[in-house]
Amino acid sequence: MKHLFAAASIAALAASITTTSFAEEKTAWRLFVSDHAEPVINVVDALTGNKIDTLPLKGPASLYRSASGRTVFAVQGKADAVSAVSTGIAFEDHGDHGDIEVTAPRLTGTEITGTKPSHFVEHGGEFALFFDGEGVARILDEKTALEGGTGVREVKTEAPHHGVAAVFGDYVLSSAPNREKPDELPVGIRVTDRAGKQIGNIHACPDLHGEATSGRLLAFACATGLLLVRDGDNGPSIEHLPYPASPSGKATTLLGGKGLQYFLGNYGADRLLLIDPSAKDMFRQVDLPTRRVHFAVDPIRPRFAYAFTEDGQLHQVDIVAGKIAQSVKLTDAYSMDGHWSDPRPRIAVAGDRIAVTDPLKSQLHLVDAIGFARTGDIPLAGKPFNIVAVGGSGETHATE
Amino acid sequence: MLKSIRHALILSVITLTTMTTGHAFAEPLKVVASFSIIGDFAKNVGGDRVDVTTLVGPDGDAHVYEPSPADAVSMASAKLVLVNGLHFEGFLQRLVEASASKAAIVELTKGITPIDFKKEFAEAEGESHEGHNHGSTDPHAFQSVVNAKVYVKNIADAFCNADSAGCDSYMANAAAYTEKLDALDKEVREAIAAIPQEKRVVITSHDAFGYFEHEYGLTFLAPQGLSTESEPSAADVAKLVEQVKQDKAAAIFVENISNPRLIEQISVETDVKVGGTLYSDALSKADGPAATYIDLMRNNIKQIKGAILGS
Repeated sequence: MKHLFAAASIAALAASITTTSFAEEKTAWRLFVSDHAEPVINVVDALTGNKIDTLPLKGPASLYRSASGRTVFAVQGKADAVSAVSTGIAFEDHGDHGDIEVTAPRLTGTEITGTKPSHFVEHGGEFALFFDGEGVARILDEKTALEGGTGVREVKTEAPHHGVAAVFGDYVLSSAPNREKPDELPVGIRVTDRAGKQIGNIHACPDLHGEATSGRLLAFACATGLLLVRDGDNGPSIEHLPYPASPSGKATTLLGGKGLQYFLGNYGADRLLLIDPSAKDMFRQVDLPTRRVHFAVDPIRPRFAYAFTEDGQLHQVDIVAGKIAQSVKLTDAYSMDGHWSDPRPRIAVAGDRIAVTDPLKSQLHLVDAIGFARTGDIPLAGKPFNIVAVGGSGETHATE
Repeated sequence: MLKSIRHALILSVITLTTMTTGHAFAEPLKVVASFSIIGDFAKNVGGDRVDVTTLVGPDGDAHVYEPSPADAVSMASAKLVLVNGLHFEGFLQRLVEASASKAAIVELTKGITPIDFKKEFAEAEGESHEGHNHGSTDPHAFQSVVNAKVYVKNIADAFCNADSAGCDSYMANAAAYTEKLDALDKEVREAIAAIPQEKRVVITSHDAFGYFEHEYGLTFLAPQGLSTESEPSAADVAKLVEQVKQDKAAAIFVENISNPRLIEQISVETDVKVGGTLYSDALSKADGPAATYIDLMRNNIKQIKGAILGS
């Protein structure tokens, strides 16, 4: 009897052990790198430098990651397709902590086809893919993209043009083409409701090119200034912020700050424009030593953004001070002469590492984001070009 | 003798100059207040001796506020940062990091007994699962005037620590302002006492009035929970509509920081008319009805009384 009791106690203890859950901290960062010439995405473990997989595409791609980091979209302009990739890294917010789940990266099967896909905009959890050759935006959500679905809703504009669209709550903001010269850049933004009905007049935005989201703001870059979109009581509230009178210029690429609400744009070949709509002095310029190749914001350290210049340097831009804080030489010179889409370096931030592609040397260069010093290189065959990073840290709950 | 007189005169001039400079030209204490209600408290306690920059301004919503580079500049130059605490300012940590601020951060709810969020929302927002229990504390302590006096005391103490030369002034200002708060507290109690017990149920957008309810005995129902960040589900709204019908809510209000559409929808579904605007987490602009904390509370009780009893 005593043995039976002891056995039962041991069994109960064993049962309690087998159902005990252990929380462990886990960090994972992945780099998704497209090739300038080949239709592939190479997936690299940013922490070890090891290649995880190579995913086949239909054409060379520009890459965009979703805000959640669960999805990467490969916009294959020459192949008339946009493919969705599950990054294999997912977080679940539990208030006081986040759980991380890491699985293999994979093409989800979602492929949205159309003529000349160009701009990709995520806002409020919905993705708007614009197809220039049709003047149509195709909109889907992340769940659809991760499940391999192809169900989209379409928003049509008046004519094929190099345009853009963004979902804004119950509304869609889409570019209005230049009717007389549809080959030129759009002239404004049209707001439509869920039924496709236009709300109000077209908001003038000559030479519209470039859009970004920061915090609760959406911005479009125009020749004259920025169109700033906020949530109003009755739909989007749109305001035009004119550029400073001097020096003259315009932004054609915009990035949105993460953690701090601001926009960063190009403004001339060797300058960046810092836009803080809440400040008295809304526009500040940051001069670069040579022409700019690429720029990116730091999603983890809100104070910083990075710019790569044609002299092969990566610069740390202090957003609060409005100036370059540090620079580090990474590559040979990459001249901005030649075609705009020639293979040149691109930047991504993976946790405490900044990764910069060096397509002509078939390498990724890594820079420590804290010390701002080069820490290593990752060889990658071909011409590594566009790059995005996803990852972070979270708890895993292994059950033993 | 002449030399001595001249020496004495010079000393007097130096002394007078020093004293004058000490009072009239001293650099004001740079203070950042996280949102408008705290900014108002700080100005009342600090007077001319402090330079207050408020991050989340009039009609702004601290729950979803996105700080800007300009805010980081203000933080970097501040000596004191006054915050509510109780997880009210979700943006605070990243702003402190971005600004590299060395300022002392003072949580003004220190000394206040926090209350838990209402059960139905605590379950939704502080969800429990697999052994995690996240809990949920209501951060809107300033909605009780009794608590507001604690904020004021904490501000005066913080100012004294940062600027001991001005301590007498801060304490005197705090005492004078606390007297006004005592009178305000009495006004609120009298206003609520005038409302029949069975009519003391109202609806607002988000649950910002837990401390008001706790202190003054008026029940608030809200479709949104603790934070305006989370959108209520259709089920939440349906549940509230049902509850309103059962509890016979006497009035329904929009909030200055929230989109009114949801409240208007509930008003239509419950046949309870929108009674006006309550100021929950922010003051109004200077030309509005709630430009100060005292005006905010007066506006709210006026709106509530007016909607329930008729103006």
